[in-house]
Amino acid sequence: MALSRKTPIERIEYAIIVSTLLLLVVVTVQPILNLLAVSLSEPAKVPGMSGLTIIPRGFSFEVWSVLLQHPNVQRGIFNSIFITAVSTVIGVVGTALMAWGLSRPGLPGRKALFILVLVTIVFEPGIIPDYFVNKRLGLLDSYWSVILFKAVNAWYLIILIRFFEEIPKELLEAAELDGANPFQVFWHLVLPLAKPALATISLFYLVFHWNEFFRAMIYLNDQGKWPLQVVLRQFVIDGDKVAIVGANSASNNTGASQIDLRSLKAGMILLTIVPILAIYPLILKFFTKGTMSGALKG
Amino acid sequence: MTNRDEAVISPKFGNVPKSSARSRTGRVALAADGWRRWWPYYVMMAPGILFFLVFHYLPIWEARIAFEQVRIVPPNIWVGIKHFQVLFSSPVFWQVLANTLIISAMKMVFFLPVPIIVALLLNEVRGGSLRKFIQSAIYLPHFLSWVVIAGIFIAALSPTDGAVNNLMGMAGMAPRSFMTDTGAIRWVLVFTEIWRSAGWDSLLYLAAIIAIDQQLYDAAEIDGANRWQKIRHVTLPGIVPTIATLFILNAGMFLNADLNQVINLSNDVVRSKIDIVDTYVYRIGLQTGEYSLATAAGLFKAVLGTMMIVIAHFVSKRLTGKGVW
Repeated sequence: MALSRKTPIERIEYAIIVSTLLLLVVVTVQPILNLLAVSLSEPAKVPGMSGLTIIPRGFSFEVWSVLLQHPNVQRGIFNSIFITAVSTVIGVVGTALMAWGLSRPGLPGRKALFILVLVTIVFEPGIIPDYFVNKRLGLLDSYWSVILFKAVNAWYLIILIRFFEEIPKELLEAAELDGANPFQVFWHLVLPLAKPALATISLFYLVFHWNEFFRAMIYLNDQGKWPLQVVLRQFVIDGDKVAIVGANSASNNTGASQIDLRSLKAGMILLTIVPILAIYPLILKFFTKGTMSGALKG
Repeated sequence: MTNRDEAVISPKFGNVPKSSARSRTGRVALAADGWRRWWPYYVMMAPGILFFLVFHYLPIWEARIAFEQVRIVPPNIWVGIKHFQVLFSSPVFWQVLANTLIISAMKMVFFLPVPIIVALLLNEVRGGSLRKFIQSAIYLPHFLSWVVIAGIFIAALSPTDGAVNNLMGMAGMAPRSFMTDTGAIRWVLVFTEIWRSAGWDSLLYLAAIIAIDQQLYDAAEIDGANRWQKIRHVTLPGIVPTIATLFILNAGMFLNADLNQVINLSNDVVRSKIDIVDTYVYRIGLQTGEYSLATAAGLFKAVLGTMMIVIAHFVSKRLTGKGVW
C-alpha cells in the first residue's frame, strides 16, 4: 500500500472515512467531557455554561470536595465497593469451580447440568417471583439480596467452560497419573493456565456488579445500604435535591445548596464512572480479546 | 440422581458389553465406581448448582402466584387463569405490549446497521494507533450503567444548556425538551442505545471481517477493484453470516426492550409512550402490590420470549451454524 499509488479520489475517500469515525468519537466523548468541565468549574460561573464546551470556567475542586464529604455519597462509595468486591469474589470462585466440573467430558450428569444452566438463560420468570424468593429467604433489605443477584452468571460460566475445555487433555491426564486429585489438578494446573480467562470473567463480574442498580433499588429499603448507582439515580434522575445538599442546607440555602445543582449532578455522574475509567485499560485488553475470540455477547 | 446417570452413561463410554445380561448389581457397582471417581467434582460444583436451584428454579416455583389469589393470611387460593383473563382484557396491557414491540422494531431497524457501518469504516483505517484511539473511545459507553447514561443524556438534551439544543440554537432552531416530548422520547431510546452499544457491537463484525481470507482482497485488487467494490464483493459477503446470526438472535430478544434503559429515561410526561412490559410488571407488582397480575404479565412475556429465543436459536443454527448457546 504505497502512498504514491493512491489517486486523489482515494485520498478524499480516506479523509471522509476518518472524519466520520472522528465525529463518532466526538459524539461519544464530548458529553462526558462537558460534564467534567462543568464539575471542575467555579460553581458561581456554571449557570449559563454551554453544553458544548469542554473547558472549565475558572477552576475549582469545590464540587468534588462537597460530594466526597457528603455522608450519603461516602456510604454509597463504601457500599458499592463492598458489594462489588464480595460478589465478584463469590462469582469468580463459584463460576470457576462449576466450570471445572462441567468441562470434564466424562462427568456423569454433565448433560443434565448443562440443560439446567441453559434453561435459566432462555426462561426468566420475572422480577416478582424473584422478589418473593428473596423475601422468603429473609434477604430483603440485606446486602446479600444484591450480592447474590446473578452471583454465578450462566454466560460467563459457558465462556469459562469453553476455555477449560481447551486445556490439553494430556496435561490433565499426566497430572492424574501422578496421583493428583481433582482439587489439586484444579488448583495447581487449571487455575494457573486459565489466568487470562479468569481475569476476563473477573472484569465481567466487576463491571456488572458495579453497574447494577435495579435490584438494589427494589430490595434495599435502608438508604444506608444503597450503592452509588442508587444514590445517583435518586439525585440525578428523580431530581431529589435534598438527597445531596441535605435538608438543613436546602432550607437555609447555605453550604452545598449554594452550589449550582447542575455541577453537583455532573460531579456525581463522573464519580460513579471513575472506577470504570480506572480499569478501562484492562477492560480493553481482556474484553476485546474475549469478544474477538468468538464469544457472542457480554 | 448422579448415580443413576452414571449407570446409564458408563456402558456407552466404558468397554462394557451392552447386552441385557449385565446384572443389576453390576450396574450398581459401576455407578459406585463412577461416584468414587467423580464425587470431588460434585463437591466443587455444589455451590454453583445450589445457586442455580435457589435463585433460578425457586422463582419458577414462586411464579405460581400468577394462578393464585394472594391472601394476607396464607394459604393463597388457586384461581386458575383468572389473572390472565383480567390481563388480556386490560387496554393498558395491550398498550404496553405494543410499546415494547414498537421500541424493539425501531431499535432493530435503526440500530442494527450502525455497528456494521462502523466496522466497515474501522476496517479501512490503516494507522494502527489511530484505529486503537477510535476504538478505545467508542467502546467506552458500553461499560456505563443506564443510570449514568440517563444522567449524561438528561444533561445533553436539556432545553436550556444541553449540547443538542445549543447546536440547534446556533442553527436558528427553537429549543426542544426532548426528554418530556412524547414525539421524541422513543427516538431518545433508539439514539441512546446506539450511543451505548453501536461501537462495542462493531467489534463482533470487525472480528468477522478480520477472519476473511486476505487472498480474496489480493485477487480483487489484481482484478482492479476499488475500495467500494472490495467492500461490496468481498467484505460484505464475508460478514453476511455474522449479520444473519445477530439479526436472528436480536429477533429472538424482541420482547426484551431494556428495563434498565426505560426506567431511567422515563418520566410522568412520556410514560405512556415508553411503558414496556417489564416496567409495567414492576409498577403494578412492586409499587401497587398487585403481585398476581404482575406475575401473570411477567410469565406471559417469559413464555413468549422463551419460544422466540428457542426458535431464533434453531433458525440461526440451521442457516448460519451459530446459535445462542
